Amino acid sequence: MDSLALLKDVTLGQYLPGTSVVHRLDPRTKLVAFVLLVWAVSSVRTYLGSIALIASALGLIVVAGLPMGYVLRGLRPIIPWLALFLVFQILFGGNYDLSGSPVLFHWEAPSPLPIRFTVTETSLRSAGVSIGRLICLYVMTSVLTLATTTTGLTHGLELLLAPLRPLKVPGHELAMTLAIALRFVPTLAEELERIIKAQVSRGADFDRPGRLAFLRRTRQLVPIVVPLFVSTFRRAEELVLAMEARGYVGGAGRGRLAPLQTTRLDWLALPVIIAYALGVAFIPLPF
Amino acid sequence: MDATDDPRARPRHESRPVGTPIVVVDDVRFAYQRRGEAPVIALDGVSLAVRAGERLAIIGHNGSGKSTLARLLNGLLLPTSGQVLVAGLDTRDAAARRRIRQTVGMVFQNPDNQLVAATVEEDVAFGPENLGLDAPEIRRRVDAALALLDLTDLAARPPHQLSGGQKQRVAIAGILAIEPGVLVLDEATALLDPFGRAEIRDAVRRVHAEGTAVVAATHHMEEAVEAERVLVMSEGRIVLDGSPREVFAEADRLRELRLDLPPMARLAERLSARRPGFAPVLLNVAEAADEVTKESEVRSQESGGIAGGASLGGASPAPTDLVGAGLAPPSPASPLARAQGEGGRGGEGSPIIEVRDLWYTYQVGTPFEAGALRGANFELHAGEVAAVVGHSGSGKSTLIQHLNGLIRPQRGLVRVNGLDLADRSLDLAAIRRQVGLVFQFPEQQLFEPTVGDDVAFGPRRIGCDRQEVRRRVREALDTVGLGFEAYKDRYTFGLSGGETRRVAIAGVLALEPRVLVLDEPTAGLDPRGRDDLLATLLDLRAQRGTAVAIVSHDMEQVAAIAERVWVMSHGELVLSGTPREVFGQADTIKQLGLGLPQVTELMHALRSRGFAAPTDVVTLEEAEEAVWTLWHS
Repeated sequence: MDSLALLKDVTLGQYLPGTSVVHRLDPRTKLVAFVLLVWAVSSVRTYLGSIALIASALGLIVVAGLPMGYVLRGLRPIIPWLALFLVFQILFGGNYDLSGSPVLFHWEAPSPLPIRFTVTETSLRSAGVSIGRLICLYVMTSVLTLATTTTGLTHGLELLLAPLRPLKVPGHELAMTLAIALRFVPTLAEELERIIKAQVSRGADFDRPGRLAFLRRTRQLVPIVVPLFVSTFRRAEELVLAMEARGYVGGAGRGRLAPLQTTRLDWLALPVIIAYALGVAFIPLPF
Repeated sequence: MDATDDPRARPRHESRPVGTPIVVVDDVRFAYQRRGEAPVIALDGVSLAVRAGERLAIIGHNGSGKSTLARLLNGLLLPTSGQVLVAGLDTRDAAARRRIRQTVGMVFQNPDNQLVAATVEEDVAFGPENLGLDAPEIRRRVDAALALLDLTDLAARPPHQLSGGQKQRVAIAGILAIEPGVLVLDEATALLDPFGRAEIRDAVRRVHAEGTAVVAATHHMEEAVEAERVLVMSEGRIVLDGSPREVFAEADRLRELRLDLPPMARLAERLSARRPGFAPVLLNVAEAADEVTKESEVRSQESGGIAGGASLGGASPAPTDLVGAGLAPPSPASPLARAQGEGGRGGEGSPIIEVRDLWYTYQVGTPFEAGALRGANFELHAGEVAAVVGHSGSGKSTLIQHLNGLIRPQRGLVRVNGLDLADRSLDLAAIRRQVGLVFQFPEQQLFEPTVGDDVAFGPRRIGCDRQEVRRRVREALDTVGLGFEAYKDRYTFGLSGGETRRVAIAGVLALEPRVLVLDEPTAGLDPRGRDDLLATLLDLRAQRGTAVAIVSHDMEQVAAIAERVWVMSHGELVLSGTPREVFGQADTIKQLGLGLPQVTELMHALRSRGFAAPTDVVTLEEAEEAVWTLWHS
């Protein structure tokens, strides 16, 4: 029943304090870097490029001084999905490959069954590259959130979006919503855990499989989802009151305890990141 | 910008000498209007002034209107008729709202739902940020508020890692950083354990000493005792208004309103009835010790010839109420105590629940790894009422989650009815039918619209037929004192706090467990709800023989109902025994940061003054007799 300990796998919104270069960068720099790297990652098309990316993503964990095992552990819950994705990509990807690359494997079910497996060199590569990309994205997101306070992130986001206010992009509101959502992740996770345990204690049974397991699962969710919603709405209502009582009237005219400041480190890091991203995106690695 | 030029940065209380009214409530009525229903009148003609620097408590049971009144003070609610003026500004004036919120700050009940930011210091900064102050001024205010509330060391912590008391202190700091003239606490301690409440009491004392007026709506009489002025509310009106001494002298009136008297006030009531001339009202232990000493000196001067003159019959002069009186644990002479042996150990046969050398660590293998149990022991016998006490984080919650297999033992033994819970082939569902576990605030787990359906959830899940489900629901509801016919079709959302909690407990009882384990069953209830619920638990044991284990922080309550107490600290058992034995170890208990029942504390205070007071006193009657004996020896 340790599977009920939900908090264990929640790494999103957790912050691991530290003094690494990554921790010390201005959140705005980190956000810009993040966007650049996502772009770079999505433009890689070769095995070698993928391997290089994964290597540098792992290097990033080291630079940020984060415990490697803990960061990678967060991948565990998505491994089955990655595997499923990989299998499908490999088996079916080639069916739609029009590039004329060499076919490595082909199998067709006897008609009328519409099942065909084709593996081509290109489709195999794109499957591998996709997995590499997902792992990279996961690691980069983890490093960003584990090495940046949520306040830093949301404040950075708010400032980066501020120039877009004339275009009706509600930067402050988005940032505030995000901040509150992140702030309540642990609270709601704890609450969810408590509700599940409470219902289990009065006869609910969430781990017995059986016929119509799917239907039963859906019905089983009611005793969990209803109390969770009720409590979340109540929390939201009380939070609104509390914010109002503290004079919150929206973003205009607010001050800041710790305005973000760029340092020399940021001006050093930014060109390096830009160069790296451009390099990854435009230097074609063979194979 | 020079801070003093900016009206928003006005130094605190600049224009408010102590005693000038800051908030004036003038003949206010307030009605909650629900669509399609008759308005519910919450306040019915209330007038009141809150003056600079004063300390006010508002008491009253749930639904008396105290929370509504609190929320009118800073314009979160607007009067239906009448007027509320804050620093001369009408709360209905939308343009003045910011100024009003800056003058009257408010802290709410649930510590989790008022913290906005990711860390303590950022949260405290939220208010000043809203005022648009510049960074150095925000920093100054945040640092000052953190220092005043002793939070400086926690500045960088995320809120979810704090205890309830710490979170509420953060909430108070967040309000103080706005530098208001009045701090309103809207049942801010209702969800806290006694340590948290003590933290807040201490914090409020400091805030008040700094010159901020404090208005506290509360259920807890030990908070009311500290106020300069106490308002008692009932049915939307202020029915008593005076100093704590004046108000608590009205014992009969308060009882009529089903409000608590502080333990020492109850003791004074009993003693002064037997010994006319003795102080009719005592507010705290120190005062009680003084008065008892003084009286004893008077006695010895009178040369004690009349000792024993008063009747010592069972007829105690004051009507008894539950905690600390009516439901005292069995005296050694009672049949129950004889059957179990003084010590409540049960002796005969093996216990229903047995925990030996239990270890448990949360989040093994992550940076957040935390040991919760380090070799804990526990036992519960058939038909026994036991209490588990300990500081927050002592491992109580982790322990009780082992009792019905929600957590499997990592190391050590947990046996229920002789079955080892470490055995992977064990049917846990069967264990859960034998050991009912009721979490804190169980009303939050209700999900069916009607009472009957919600209680029927368990019996249906375990496959009872219609007849059986109906029988169980009927019995469970009757047991918790909610008549089956009257309640089965009622909506759960329309019930009072005490009622919804009973429904939730009935939901567990419908599984007909042999053991009922409850985590803080009375937390957040008003005195009336609390007394009714404790009586229900004792009934349950009497009628069905169900063994009951409660986790509680309320030592008065533990002394009143438990036969055996298990004291935990840092994941280990440190003491166990009858309440008498355990509370006799005053030094150990205090070292653990736990409280003693006030009557026990009084005995220790008297001993330190040289009296031969017994240390094994845990109930009001015993304290009364002990003091009487002192006077006559």
